[in-house]
Amino acid sequence: MRTSINKAFPEKFLEKRREVYGENDPLFTVVGDLAMDRRYGDGAICFEKDRLTVFGDQYASQTKTVSYGELENVSVKRMYGNAYFAAKYRNGETEKLMRFTFFSANIADAAADFVNGVIADGFSDELLNAVENTYLEQRSFCPKCGRKLPSPDAECLNCTGKKKMFSKFAVYALPFKKSLLACMLLSMFTTAAALVPPYVTGYMVDTVLPGKDMRLLLTMIGVLLGVYVLQFAVTGFRAYLLRVTGDKIVTQIKKDIYAKAQYLPMSFYDKTSTGSVINRINSDAAAIQNFVLKISQEAVVQFFTMIGILVIMLCMNWRLTLFSLTPIPLVAMVGRAFGKNIKPRYLRIWRRNASISSLLADTIPGIRIVKAFSHEKESTGKFDAYCNDWLQEEKKISKVVSAFPAVMTFLVTCGSLIIWLSGGSYIIGGRGGITVGLLVSFISYASMFYTPVNFFANFNDTYQNTLASAEKILDILDAEPERDFTKDTPERIDGKIEFKNVNFSFDRSKKVLSNINLTIEPGDIVGIVGTTGSGKSTLINLLMRYYDEYDGEILIDGKNLKDIDIGYYRRQIGFVQQEPLMFRDTIFNNIAYGKPGAHVEEVFRAADIANAHGFITRLPDGYDTLLGERGIGLSGGEKQRLSIARAVMRNPAILIFDEATASVDSETEHLIQGAIENLIRGRTTLMIAHRLSTLRKANKIVVVDKGRIIECGTPEELMALKGKYYKLIQIQSMGEKVEAEKKAENFE
Amino acid sequence: MLRYIEGNEVKLTPNDGIFIDAEFYYTKEKFTALEPHRLFPKSGGNKYVTLLDADGNQVAIIRDTASLLPESRKTVEDALEEYYMIPRITRFIKMVDTFKIWMWTAETDHGILTFEVKNHISTVKPLYDGRVLITDTSDNRYEIPDYRKMDPRSVKMIETML
Repeated sequence: MRTSINKAFPEKFLEKRREVYGENDPLFTVVGDLAMDRRYGDGAICFEKDRLTVFGDQYASQTKTVSYGELENVSVKRMYGNAYFAAKYRNGETEKLMRFTFFSANIADAAADFVNGVIADGFSDELLNAVENTYLEQRSFCPKCGRKLPSPDAECLNCTGKKKMFSKFAVYALPFKKSLLACMLLSMFTTAAALVPPYVTGYMVDTVLPGKDMRLLLTMIGVLLGVYVLQFAVTGFRAYLLRVTGDKIVTQIKKDIYAKAQYLPMSFYDKTSTGSVINRINSDAAAIQNFVLKISQEAVVQFFTMIGILVIMLCMNWRLTLFSLTPIPLVAMVGRAFGKNIKPRYLRIWRRNASISSLLADTIPGIRIVKAFSHEKESTGKFDAYCNDWLQEEKKISKVVSAFPAVMTFLVTCGSLIIWLSGGSYIIGGRGGITVGLLVSFISYASMFYTPVNFFANFNDTYQNTLASAEKILDILDAEPERDFTKDTPERIDGKIEFKNVNFSFDRSKKVLSNINLTIEPGDIVGIVGTTGSGKSTLINLLMRYYDEYDGEILIDGKNLKDIDIGYYRRQIGFVQQEPLMFRDTIFNNIAYGKPGAHVEEVFRAADIANAHGFITRLPDGYDTLLGERGIGLSGGEKQRLSIARAVMRNPAILIFDEATASVDSETEHLIQGAIENLIRGRTTLMIAHRLSTLRKANKIVVVDKGRIIECGTPEELMALKGKYYKLIQIQSMGEKVEAEKKAENFE
Repeated sequence: MLRYIEGNEVKLTPNDGIFIDAEFYYTKEKFTALEPHRLFPKSGGNKYVTLLDADGNQVAIIRDTASLLPESRKTVEDALEEYYMIPRITRFIKMVDTFKIWMWTAETDHGILTFEVKNHISTVKPLYDGRVLITDTSDNRYEIPDYRKMDPRSVKMIETML
């Protein structure tokens, strides 16, 4: 059997290991990376069937062997950023055997299970296999370079080399090889055509003009015209072909990234904001397209252009060619320096773009919450700050990007000056067999030569593409904003709600609410029940003023809802939704969202009322725990309790619960129910619920069906009525009875 | 109800490493083997420290360890020091990037180490005051107290990530 080890055995203990084991190997070894004083250092524990041996500087002899017979148990205590492997002896003493960072924590857990298993039931192959499997899962290190791999059998990107990377992206170009080949040939044609005019110019200066041959001049001009027409026609066609091919490539890349994103594990999304995924689909796909086209087209064309020009120049005059090559090292150096300087800047720009995308991904889908908490100003402020950050970086990069072409042009111009100086002195001195025409055409070729030189000098640069979507942006900018933030702000809201003849439809084709008449007194606890799609949530949406285009009136404390300042009004409402929306922020900030600038103890109090403080204190990062988008990292019930805590912060006059316990188990429902009961005392409360058990505190029940209120009254009145509510209660009671019976019989 | 501790109402004594014992003077209650945890490990330092019993239930919150009696303060701060390990990076020695997976070699207050950072957009968090929080691929955490005060070479290296 292969000896398992999570990383190389510490060299400093090799001698000691030899003393203990000779040339033999232990069953497996866990190597630590911290000394007992928590400085980075070495430590190791070797495990055998009946004993373990610790190697560490905490022992004078650097080693200690413990027989499993001496042990009551072993354990791994995980702390914050570090952990230790501890032994509890049969005599009651405890000892920390090794310390390590989380790098070795999983392996140490498996080792502890092994030892405890042996202590309890003796050694078995199953115990060892379990450890081996953990090692296999953990052994995600490249044997060649030692880099951690995403999975045990994954390829090491470091060692597969750039060639493999090229071939991965080349897959996208392969289906379009005919078009790309055609583009390349057309490109070579235009490059060859571009080499003709300087030669013809030189011929005209040296032969046609001194010979005063008008016919030949017209012929040459005709030749030039023909070349230009062909060159530009072919260039245009090639550009079209290339663009279409490029679009096809980018579409395929986007589809692939999106399809892949669907199957990525949740742990990926815990650590990656969807904003940056969106950025990848939108921007990085275009960058790869750029890269593929650059390799398949420009690199080849530029290479042949460079060789072609060099050959022509050498044929024309080798001395002048050597002079004209003098600035090339300088051009290459400047190009390299630019590339090196610009790469981190582009990365910073990318990061700021990703931040902006993340904020958008957070706040746009969560716009209801933003509005419910009147956070429009804060959201705008945050977005402004992110945009300003981006602008600052963009300004910095602009300086470099603008200076670079100027410097390059200057260097190329200097190259032509050198040719003028050397070629001119040859002509004046009558040496080297150089004519004026040759010099003129030579200078043209030399300037053409610098384009491929520059291209190869900057080959490693990051290229940024902007995907303009002006149309969509205009859609947003031209849309009508939500109305009135400046109307009546009553001193207080008591919580009397009246719906008077309210009718509403989303698209005017189908009425969602019909003739709604309802009066809710301050402090009432109202349960709204009904089947899915009956209009319960729409009723709440109107009360929240998410939609204003309804017929009839909604009155709050006798005042028309539309006449009350919308921001003020929403601040008086605590809204808890079925799918609580958490922002990508700390738990503290998610709760404090309900009251910006709240004192820390107010947040604790709110969390405590919402039965959330308990589980928060048990999280390693406490209130600093950073939630993923939509609260990833917490259970549905935990998110719901945070959402209730957020509502508590507002101290609202009106509370609305929209299916707050619908998607949690009954134990969690019990906790949430407790939190809700803590909160609703003395406040007008509206609760939408499928589970009628959650409405046990309600003093009024409203039954909605097909957009109409069909029953309204106290629970007792409705039960006596034996209508829809009575039927719903009967159905749910039967369901609960069946559930109880299933439980009793242990049926799943 | 949440219970807060301030001033001299409690005596805290060391138990074993990360565990402490608590004795409340006024109520005469005694608790053993409590684990102090920071409620704001990244941002709050030694303010708002919760004391958890063996089942993870909160016994009380210390508003600020600075308000405790000197011995009690030392007890709880020693336990916190033992529990939390967030090495402070003082200098970067090497940063090697291969296809967006970074191997960083850095000097910290716990010694020199090499660690791996992936997806730096979300694992390297710059804060407004120059502090930078880093999480490596093994979920170990590191902190740069103020990256602007590092040597110019390190600043240049880390600025690429911010």
